[in-house]
Amino acid sequence: MSEKRKYKKRFCKYCEAKVDFMDYKDVGALRFSLSERYKIMPRRLTGNCKRHQDMITIVIKRARAAALIPYTVTRKAVVTAPFENLK
Amino acid sequence: MRHYENLVIVKPTLTAEEIQSSLAAIEEVITSNGGEIATTDAMGMRKLAYPINKNERGYFHVIYYTIAPAAISEIERRFRINEELLRFVTIKYDTNREIAAWTKLVEKAKKGTTAPKAETEVAAEETVAEVAVEAEAAAE
Repeated sequence: MSEKRKYKKRFCKYCEAKVDFMDYKDVGALRFSLSERYKIMPRRLTGNCKRHQDMITIVIKRARAAALIPYTVTRKAVVTAPFENLK
Repeated sequence: MRHYENLVIVKPTLTAEEIQSSLAAIEEVITSNGGEIATTDAMGMRKLAYPINKNERGYFHVIYYTIAPAAISEIERRFRINEELLRFVTIKYDTNREIAAWTKLVEKAKKGTTAPKAETEVAAEETVAEVAVEAEAAAE
């Protein structure tokens, strides 16, 4: 139920926080828009607005290039707390 | 002059002194091409999200600088030749909003480098761990 609720509300989390700029080095902040296999979550599930979705997409791709977050995670490597092992 | 940021990942197999000297060489490449380094931020030895050239970890270093846009291609060419670098990421800060963010990041980096977290991984080879500890000591 709570899982469903998370995506039912349609408002942009970043608009609410008035985010103007995202830093690709701040990995924890990217977590909201990543699935547990490090795919970029679609807008229809997160409720992000177009502007912030475009921003987060660029930032996530930068972080991937910088080896801060993985491109893909195999099914075996998926863990429950994905960002713990990167610190 | 335009605002840039470069993240470089140095090979973990080097000793702490070698890392520092190669970082100095990298910064020298920027300054010799007419760049002005605003500040640097040592993120320290970190685990890579995926192995690069069979390396599981790397020394992350961020350099904030301003430089004429034409010089970037030369800098990137020099970085590609450098075999001590695993990876580099160049970010351009162009619009007013981005430049404001750049100055904010510089301020933050000046206040205190993001302190490298204590090594929790015991599985890594001892030499690598030693290098990390030395690097931490050097960073402080």
